[in-house]
Amino acid sequence: MLVHSRGAKWAVWALFLVLFLPLFALPLLVVLGASFATNWSSVLPSGFTTGHYSAATRGEALQALTTSLLTAAAASLLALTAGTWAALAAAGLKGRYRRVLDALFVLPVAVPSVVVGLAILVAFSKPPFLLNGTREIVILAHTVLVTAFAHQSVSAALARLDPAYEQAAASLGARPAHVLWRVRLPLLLPSLTAAAGLCFALSMGELSATMMLYPPDWTPLPVLIFAATDRGALFAGSALAVVLMAATLLALFAVSRVRTRASYR
Amino acid sequence: MAEVVRRLRVRRGWSRPRGGSRTSNTASRPWLAAVPPVALLAVLFLYPLALVVQQSLQPDTGGTSFQPYADVFASDAFREALWTTVWLAAGSTVGCLVLGFVLALVIAFVPFPGARAVARFIDVFLSFPTFLITLALLFVYGTVGMANGLWTDLTGAADGPFQFLTTPWGVLLAEITYFTPFVVRPLLAAFSQLDTAQLEAAGSLGARPVRIVRRVILPEALPALAAGGSLVLVLCLNEFGIVLFTGAKGVTTLPMLVHSKAILESDYPGACVVAVVNVLISVGLYGLYRVVSRRARA
Amino acid sequence: MIGGIRFDSVTVAYDGNVVLDALDLTVEPGEVMALLGPSGSGKTTALRAVAGFVRPASGRVFLGGQDVTDLPPYRRGIGMVVQQYALFPHMRVEENVAFGLKAQRGRTKVPKAEIRTRVAEALEMTGMAAYARRYPRELSGGQQQRVAIARALAIRPGVLLLDEPLSALDARLRSDMLAELARLHRELPDVSILYVTHDQVEALTLADRIAVMDRARLQACGTPRELYRAPANEFTASFVGNANLLPVTVGSGGGVVFGGGEIEVGTAGVAPGAKATLCVRPHLVGLGDGPNRLSGTVTEIQWRGSTHRLYVEVDGRRVIADLRELKAPPAHGDEVTLHFSPDDATLLAAGVGHG
Repeated sequence: MLVHSRGAKWAVWALFLVLFLPLFALPLLVVLGASFATNWSSVLPSGFTTGHYSAATRGEALQALTTSLLTAAAASLLALTAGTWAALAAAGLKGRYRRVLDALFVLPVAVPSVVVGLAILVAFSKPPFLLNGTREIVILAHTVLVTAFAHQSVSAALARLDPAYEQAAASLGARPAHVLWRVRLPLLLPSLTAAAGLCFALSMGELSATMMLYPPDWTPLPVLIFAATDRGALFAGSALAVVLMAATLLALFAVSRVRTRASYR
Repeated sequence: MAEVVRRLRVRRGWSRPRGGSRTSNTASRPWLAAVPPVALLAVLFLYPLALVVQQSLQPDTGGTSFQPYADVFASDAFREALWTTVWLAAGSTVGCLVLGFVLALVIAFVPFPGARAVARFIDVFLSFPTFLITLALLFVYGTVGMANGLWTDLTGAADGPFQFLTTPWGVLLAEITYFTPFVVRPLLAAFSQLDTAQLEAAGSLGARPVRIVRRVILPEALPALAAGGSLVLVLCLNEFGIVLFTGAKGVTTLPMLVHSKAILESDYPGACVVAVVNVLISVGLYGLYRVVSRRARA
Repeated sequence: MIGGIRFDSVTVAYDGNVVLDALDLTVEPGEVMALLGPSGSGKTTALRAVAGFVRPASGRVFLGGQDVTDLPPYRRGIGMVVQQYALFPHMRVEENVAFGLKAQRGRTKVPKAEIRTRVAEALEMTGMAAYARRYPRELSGGQQQRVAIARALAIRPGVLLLDEPLSALDARLRSDMLAELARLHRELPDVSILYVTHDQVEALTLADRIAVMDRARLQACGTPRELYRAPANEFTASFVGNANLLPVTVGSGGGVVFGGGEIEVGTAGVAPGAKATLCVRPHLVGLGDGPNRLSGTVTEIQWRGSTHRLYVEVDGRRVIADLRELKAPPAHGDEVTLHFSPDDATLLAAGVGHG
């Protein structure tokens, strides 16, 4: 509708491909290609192998994957609970109080995750909360980092929710708790699962705060990928990264299945 | 039917189901519901952040003073990191805005088969970790990567010309690549609101595409550009994974400095000072982003 | 306890903006009261004050004789149907209807077996029994409307609030649903119904009494016949049905003067020499000679199938006449004479209401 002549259209599309392919498609393909290779000194990788994957799916790597999955699951559940609760509480408040509460819960987005990691390290290395070197400290840091995203998506969904539903329920004699449980939360479910997926993906890839906090027996996959590339094992690192991406996408896909069953409108 | 109604009428008497005049407790004190999540946030986030500020004022020598600030501000490493952080973030933001605007324009207004799939792909891109991009760039532009491999194969030279990856330019490229989707997404949302009849009217009046973009599309896209741009700016200021994976000794940003001071040098007061500065810049800009995006929505 | 609603000087204000100004109105048990007015007249606010979704700044609201002003909505036990129905999209029809019954707790908890029978009864009353297992999205607009009514009736309210319930339906469905609502009311004669609408046909068809609202105030209240035959002011006259409103001066001999001519009409209660407004319904105006003649030029003629509508300029005023289809209608620019019976005209005090 903007460009009408055939030639101009093709020129625009060519420009799009020239920008899009090397910047966005190529990186993913390259990592995928490298994960099956032993050597890359020419245009294409060479020395096809699946060895990196057999290494990436057992032992230390498998444990790191499990660690990442468990951390992400725990952190997103916690974040979803806290974020939803805060969004619901804020929706019940008026004017200034509501804005303060909303601002508090988006603050973690603006604070660098390295600083969140440092702050949690500082705070929980001394009494009254001594968590340094435990797996809980990693989960808590991830929770802090992703809660803001959960809160934002649930807040946005709440703002879109037609108040007529709550009012119809209240006029039928339902108390606020009943309205929340039977009407508002079910109607929010698609947004809640979307928020959970987002939190999960963010937590799966979290590196900055984790680097400062992880104990040796709770090494998430991104740390392992960094360790591999840092010692020059780029191809093994690529295989680990592909495993991480695949796991994240699988989880997102599973979550989106829940969403389609739960979207009523 | 009539029989049903008669039964209904006899049994009910249409009384109101409940009486009483108690008012509910939660309705009169809605802030009570906000206490648990705020308490959680306070313990996990606000209290640690306060401790960081406190520690930034407590040098290792004891007491409370601004000495750590003076020390950090005086060091070349900090000033260089501050400058690198700011220009990298600003440069990345500009790059993301230009690239994102062009890509979104094509997807929205010169659609091709598969344009929707590309839009979905851009969404998926957001769910990958940042360091993945740096890892990929190592294979594309690294010393023995694809581009240099092509060059040496073609020319027979010993080294390729692409050696920028461990310089700030490598970080810039990675940040533009990773954060462009953050601009494309709100732009596509804004474009979908745009009335295509407006474009067709402008086109039928003989306006050239460049003019339509400048006069019709760009003004509509400005709020989305502003919101997306300031978010990218903040995220770039805070980015750690990309810089870490580059492994470039020459590229130190504020988050890198926090990490190295705390973990490698165990200089906690120094790390906390840098952290406080970084938080102030980011939170200030993020506040601006919130204001801009609220305006954009209104 | 029986139904019935009473507004006792209810005022509602948002941010200092008065949207309902000291409303005094009583809806008797079993009565259908239509709140009729243009948008922004305060009619929906009045309904929401009964439901408990807005708190009056002053005044009290009574339901069945009990002051409910301080009760939250869920303690008021009213049935409500809104414009867009607000059926819960994630529940089947039967679950929607059962919602209010399942929500009851404590003393008023409804046993499971009774919930089933009451849901079945409510669905049967509204003719939706065959759709119990459907989801709202699988129903047409009219069917959703019936489910919304069934859901409101299932809790056996003493008062039913209907907020523009037919405005989302197309014209044919609307008249079907009007008949349906009238039938439901005949079957449930004890339920008070407060019916908010901007459509005079709905109000005239369904209501026992109509309360006409404008600019946050109650303008008139009475039976449809009273309001139609003898409106209290110009606003009511023009909003309830069509009206020709002519500025007149009350004459000394029991008539009024319009333009150059005398018009015969009842002038009880109006002093001679006073300014007043004469109200004549267009369908009561005839063509040709008769009592109370008005002569003028045809400016517009519309054929509406069963009627002709004539716009005639009489002494600088436009007079509308709705006439049974004419064999030989006058042409544009023709001079014609109109007439109406003295019994069919009403004299309104001038300056009351607005034009």
